[in-house]
Amino acid sequence: MPRNLLKIALALPLLAACGTAQQPAASSAPSAAPAKLVVWIMDGSVTKDLLASFEKDYETAHPGIDLDLQIQAWDGIGERVTAALASTDAPDVIEVGNTQVAQYSASGGVRDLTSKVADLGGADWLPGLAQPGNIDGKQYGIPWYAANRVVVYNKELWGDTPVPKTRAEWLAATAKLNKGGNQGIYLTGQTWYALAGFIWDEGGDLAVKRGESWAGALDTPEALAGMAFYRELQALGKGPKDADEANPPQHEVFAQGKVAQIIAVPGIAARVLEVEPGMKDKIGYFTIPGKTADKPGAVFTGGSDLIIPEASRHPEAAYEVVKALAGEKFQTDLAKAMSFVPNRTSLAGVLAGDEGTAAMAAGAANGRATPNTPAWAAVEATAVIKQYMTAVLTGGDPAAEAAKVSKTITETLNSGS
Amino acid sequence: MSTRRANLWPYLLIAPAVAAGVFLLLYPLLKAAVLSVQHFRMGELIRGGAEFVGLANYRELLAKTEFWEVLLRTAVWTVINVGLIVALGTGVGLMLARLGRRARLLLMSALALAWATPVIAATTIFQWLFQSELGIVNWLLGTRGFAWFADPVATFAVLVVLVVWQSIPFVALTLYAGLTTIPAELYESARIDGGTSRQIFWKITFPVLRPLFALITSLEVIWVAKCFPQIWVLSQGGPDGATTTLPVYAFKVARVLHRYDLGSAVAMLTVLVLAAALVANLRRMLRQEAAQ
Amino acid sequence: MRRVLLNTAAAATFVVMIFPVYWMVSTAFKPTKEIQAETPSLLPLRPTLQHFETAMAADGFWRFWANSLLVTAGAVLLALVVALLAAFAVSRMRWRGRGPFIVAVFAAQMAPWEALLVPMFIIARDTGLLDSLLMLTGVYFMITLPFTVVTLRGFLAAIPAELEEAALVDGCTRAEAFRRIVFPLLAPGLMATSLFGFITAWNEFAFVNVLIIKDEANRTLPVWLSSFRDVFGTDWGATMAAATLFALPALVLFLFLQRRVGVGMTAGAVKG
Repeated sequence: MPRNLLKIALALPLLAACGTAQQPAASSAPSAAPAKLVVWIMDGSVTKDLLASFEKDYETAHPGIDLDLQIQAWDGIGERVTAALASTDAPDVIEVGNTQVAQYSASGGVRDLTSKVADLGGADWLPGLAQPGNIDGKQYGIPWYAANRVVVYNKELWGDTPVPKTRAEWLAATAKLNKGGNQGIYLTGQTWYALAGFIWDEGGDLAVKRGESWAGALDTPEALAGMAFYRELQALGKGPKDADEANPPQHEVFAQGKVAQIIAVPGIAARVLEVEPGMKDKIGYFTIPGKTADKPGAVFTGGSDLIIPEASRHPEAAYEVVKALAGEKFQTDLAKAMSFVPNRTSLAGVLAGDEGTAAMAAGAANGRATPNTPAWAAVEATAVIKQYMTAVLTGGDPAAEAAKVSKTITETLNSGS
Repeated sequence: MSTRRANLWPYLLIAPAVAAGVFLLLYPLLKAAVLSVQHFRMGELIRGGAEFVGLANYRELLAKTEFWEVLLRTAVWTVINVGLIVALGTGVGLMLARLGRRARLLLMSALALAWATPVIAATTIFQWLFQSELGIVNWLLGTRGFAWFADPVATFAVLVVLVVWQSIPFVALTLYAGLTTIPAELYESARIDGGTSRQIFWKITFPVLRPLFALITSLEVIWVAKCFPQIWVLSQGGPDGATTTLPVYAFKVARVLHRYDLGSAVAMLTVLVLAAALVANLRRMLRQEAAQ
Repeated sequence: MRRVLLNTAAAATFVVMIFPVYWMVSTAFKPTKEIQAETPSLLPLRPTLQHFETAMAADGFWRFWANSLLVTAGAVLLALVVALLAAFAVSRMRWRGRGPFIVAVFAAQMAPWEALLVPMFIIARDTGLLDSLLMLTGVYFMITLPFTVVTLRGFLAAIPAELEEAALVDGCTRAEAFRRIVFPLLAPGLMATSLFGFITAWNEFAFVNVLIIKDEANRTLPVWLSSFRDVFGTDWGATMAAATLFALPALVLFLFLQRRVGVGMTAGAVKG
């Protein structure tokens, strides 16, 4: 890398203190000795059993490869992945969330896999996973799995109330159930994914791109309408207005048996049963209702992509692992074990059997992604939308609060990385 | 009284500390300072090739009005916390010196446990205690449903309680350790001469402990001003920026965007601010050393 | 009467200090369903050891303990030795540059460690010391050094030199005099500084997170502590159980150290 002449001119001590340029890792020739491949998987993405069987099968099929599947804790993962991408000997495959993949891809530390898209069957990838991993037409992130939210309900409390198909029916049913010590719906004040869905249903968005820059869009009439609906729904229960759905974990609240419904991914049922096994046959699912009966409510497509760091020493072998993980067999196993949506629409049939995943698949048809810009991760990390929601729900003026948060989002998105 | 030694000894004795300081502190610090005048984001960290941009980062920071609000808020936050911590901590330290052996051991153990509790666990406990629906504080006060963390002042108060609670042990234990160096005879003769507790404190205890006091207060100022995880986990700097102190602000404008250049600039400014706040103490130390 | 007041105040302080800790420990024994119950209960109604099992069954549990102990003990001991040497020089000797040195040490407390994450990472990367416990020990050592120097110097200064002189007159060597006279009187200072160093290094997460990357075997305990969290939220029972286990060594260290403080006090009284 060319040294900055000005730096050299300044002073010798300063020269020592300058950050040294990092040489990009040379791609290594395939080595004869068993290559140890390190794969980073997020905690909770894959069951231990499935991981173990994948490792065994892969190593049998690829003698000479030693697969080290490392489970990563969520705390501090952003810094850790950045450090990994910037190191000289990075893990070979890393799982990153689809809201994070854009910033890593834009950094120059991730391998460009555009040439492999056809090989991976990328024609029918879920857009919510593929788009964020695509910067300037180059594909860096490979879609891995997706999940979107449905309404998880307590069959015992619902009784014979029919499953709602429109918003109006939904509100009516929830209001009916919200009495006698039970909560109609446990919806905390800061479940912003749900709000995003309601805003999209109104035709609004969280932020819009205007030419080269972005603008926060929570102050549009559509977005305000979405917030108004959220407010109506949230009031039909006792969800804390100043907390999100993980604090306390909503599956623990649901497991107490006094909550009629929560908005969550179907996979949450397993966690509910861990807390209260007695809920076994009481958990039902339905797709989040849209405004009219013919279209389900819009949902946020959450999920993960796989990236290969530039600093990985075994890029070819790493690609083979990615191919296996994104391939049909593993996708089918993963969808069945974790109630996830596979990365290709052609594989969606896998989800047909189960009530929860069927509801999820129906909703996935109207799945949307967060604004596709690297800086969006910063908006999430600073929790500004969550605070906006709490402010409105505790009596703040919706229009004023929306204007404030939109301005903050605009600033953050245009701060550039 | 001092001991005369061969000229080289003092320098040999401080050599390890100086070497450590140069390699493990000064060098990284210089690097950080250089970072603050470069365009340094995730890309530069991974690929290298950072450009020199002069004072652009500093100008960007100081131009935002929010920065000055944050500075003021940090000052208020620091004064309130340090005031409470030092006052209460000193009280507990003095209490420790007067207690019987078993009672003292019990109380010291409680203090050590509070100090040793991991910060995130402690913050979460406080979140639960003050939860609007299920929290024990609302249950005790009968204010069920009051959302502590939706109200700016209430959130600020909870954070003060949390920080003060976890900082008292350090002050109390360190002061108590200092108190044990005061020979008992001094107290006895003072009492025989008819001194009240207050007089004894200000005339005997305080002067002996003054350097320790100064040290502890300065340290608490530094630590409280730089306090971050508790605030972030509890309130993310909200509601409405009410608890956004300097480190929280740095996180919001720099770290989440992987803008290491801006983050470094904030850190440099923080050091300047702290140095300005503690300059009186630093000057006093220099004078004291010269006098000895 | 004053004794009663004192003891009441002490009891109140005890309750206030211990209550959150108590809450943490009692949560660790409550089954998950009870943790989020509508009416909070002070005592676990149906205590369970399940969370402790989960916490201890975590991958690499024992290795993390070993790493943390190694790194923390190493950093603290190194800091004590280096600081003691420097503190001795500052408090017992006169030399040029003493004033600026102590001011520099004091100023070092203001070091913006969170901003040094990136430079430290770059240094470690360029010297090939990523994934190395040695680098981590070095960082923790440096973080605790300034406070240790300043505090030990304060305690040393409080010990009159006459005591040492008297011992020398009695026929001790300088080293013996230090060991038998000064060291016990230094005990309270050593307690404060080692406890501080221990807790600081034991709890540190940010540097571990960026310096130990690929080599899982070298991770330390704070990583384990934050690992009971997934996309649905945190397993608070397991986290509190882990936090309880995590806080114990500091308590053990404290109990061990404070015994020595008692010894130091009586020794001082006799000599005085």
